[in-house]
Amino acid sequence: MQVALKIWRFDAVAGERKLVDYEIDAPEWVTLLDVLDLIKDQVDGTLAYRKSCRMMICGSCGMRMDGAAVLACKIRMYDIAQSGHIPVISAMGNMPIVKDLVTDMQPFWGKIRAMSPWLQPGYQDPGEKEFVVSEEQMDTIHKESLCIMCGCCVSECNSMESDPEFLGPAALAKGMRFVGDVRDHATVERLQEYSGQHGIWDCTRCYFCQERCPKGVDPRDAIAKLGAEAMKEGIDSDMGAKHAKWFVTSSKTTGWLRETELVPKTQGVARSLKEVKFAMGLLKHGKVPPPIPPHVAKDVDEARALFDLVSQQGRGGAAGIVQGEHALERLEFEQGGNPDRDPFGEGSFPEPFLPGQGEGEEEAES
Amino acid sequence: MRTVAYYKGCLASLSAKELDISTQALAPKVGLELVELERVTCCGAGDIHEAEPDYYLHLNARILAYAEETGSDTLMTVCNVCTLNLRQANFQLKGDAALLERVNANLVSVGAPAYSGGVDVQHFLWLVSAGEGYELLRQAAHKGLKGLKIAPFYGCQILRPSKLLGFEDPDKPSSLERIIEACGGEAIDYPAKIKCCGFPIIQAREDVALGELIQPIEQASEAGADAIVTPCPLCHLSLDAWQSKLREQTGRDFRMPILHLSQLIGVAAGLDDSELKFKRHVVSVAPVVEHLRI
Repeated sequence: MQVALKIWRFDAVAGERKLVDYEIDAPEWVTLLDVLDLIKDQVDGTLAYRKSCRMMICGSCGMRMDGAAVLACKIRMYDIAQSGHIPVISAMGNMPIVKDLVTDMQPFWGKIRAMSPWLQPGYQDPGEKEFVVSEEQMDTIHKESLCIMCGCCVSECNSMESDPEFLGPAALAKGMRFVGDVRDHATVERLQEYSGQHGIWDCTRCYFCQERCPKGVDPRDAIAKLGAEAMKEGIDSDMGAKHAKWFVTSSKTTGWLRETELVPKTQGVARSLKEVKFAMGLLKHGKVPPPIPPHVAKDVDEARALFDLVSQQGRGGAAGIVQGEHALERLEFEQGGNPDRDPFGEGSFPEPFLPGQGEGEEEAES
Repeated sequence: MRTVAYYKGCLASLSAKELDISTQALAPKVGLELVELERVTCCGAGDIHEAEPDYYLHLNARILAYAEETGSDTLMTVCNVCTLNLRQANFQLKGDAALLERVNANLVSVGAPAYSGGVDVQHFLWLVSAGEGYELLRQAAHKGLKGLKIAPFYGCQILRPSKLLGFEDPDKPSSLERIIEACGGEAIDYPAKIKCCGFPIIQAREDVALGELIQPIEQASEAGADAIVTPCPLCHLSLDAWQSKLREQTGRDFRMPILHLSQLIGVAAGLDDSELKFKRHVVSVAPVVEHLRI
């Protein structure tokens, strides 16, 4: 089949950027990465891009297709070519471009390193026995452990566009991978560090990272888990944490958000006084609802009682998010078109391979 | 008439009353009978989901349970954040019998009804941009926008994560464009229409948020838009109220009028001033209104 692409070429030496058309004959099974290989082999050997494993595990070939970050080896070209659409390929966002589709990953690795991405056990030698980590405990960091550090989430991060120093989705998901690990004993120190100026509370919840991640890490949820763990440990002095806390207070006192008090509760009284002029402008248009008398939801005592009840049930912190993950995974599975199969039920995992099995069949095939 | 349970959320109850008023006035014209939920609270936004996630799930389960009690199979929202929160909780509860059982036991013990999973959460935008709702909208919007150039701004949590929202392609959405055209306007295209307005961090990280906020306003302005329309009251608040901060910071005065979706359709459907409440906007909507009078 004929496959057409437009590629944003970039020559860093000359500082030139141009959109170049390519068309090539390719087998029907090709991925975007295969097409780039064919172009490099047959049309222009100077085309630059990163690749290694070709099977969605090394995380090298992150790039943008039609403005959205993808792993080139994960994109099948058949449907795209058949539809007549000519996709535009470019380098990932939020990183400097070295050449063509190759970005400088140094800022990315710097942020990963800033998370201290190694276990800090700090426990005593268990002696004769070994420590056992339960399946439930590992579930907490199952998704975060899937990260292949391709950078697709970082490429699309709206907060990072605005604050390049934001730790960002990949690094924070890595942070959760250690905060949620029961073997790690630096939890509080980590949460304090991640709660700084360019940390957890910089996330604007645009969910681009979650949408783009090719491995199902769900970095935005990982950031929410970090926030929940920080609050549980009482690390709540950041304005973002205070903002979140006021929602909780509002919901159990009046039911609805007490909007007007949100500003001083988040920023402190002194800082909010600077906002008086701005607030007066809003007041004229009814955008500053008077806090007194409060707008109270009917039967709000039910919400308060729920808060007290669930506080005693041991699902605080990240556990409150993790508990819903199986159902959401199942949802994805159902959307994939197999509603009858339970992805976590009996018989749903492939049989493990044992040496000696299946050898005869392979021989028969060859 | 299709009867739906109506959850208006915090902002439409308070600082964005104009959204609630115009939605209620418009509903019968697009075939919707709204049963407003009274015994409900805030959905918690991203904030309670982050601060106290287990409590977030219970608050949303309670809202879903009261929606189910009305007898309708649809819970209508008018806010992106409410939509994601409620849909996420709904899928978590429907997809996990043990979790639903625990949450229901808690709901019942505080005097709320149990939830059996019989409600689907739908944003107002979805109900009027497809199917019968869209046909009725086309008939109701007879007054027309007279070729007004409108920039659609979707906001985040009505598109992403698409696994939980799933109404349309999160990268190439078209529901707002369909509505703008049905109302006799011209839809303006610009890249930032699917990006973030910065609202969730506008209090805690104002500089970061303003760096996000300027993109849609600047791009829509340069593309010649007369106004921006959004289906989310949080996007509305940052786009409308924080424009003055952009002026202070950049020296550029965009004066871009920002319309709620219900107001855009409402104008085209001939709702009057008392139902549209444009005076409640910080950036004047007068240029839009004048264009339509001529």
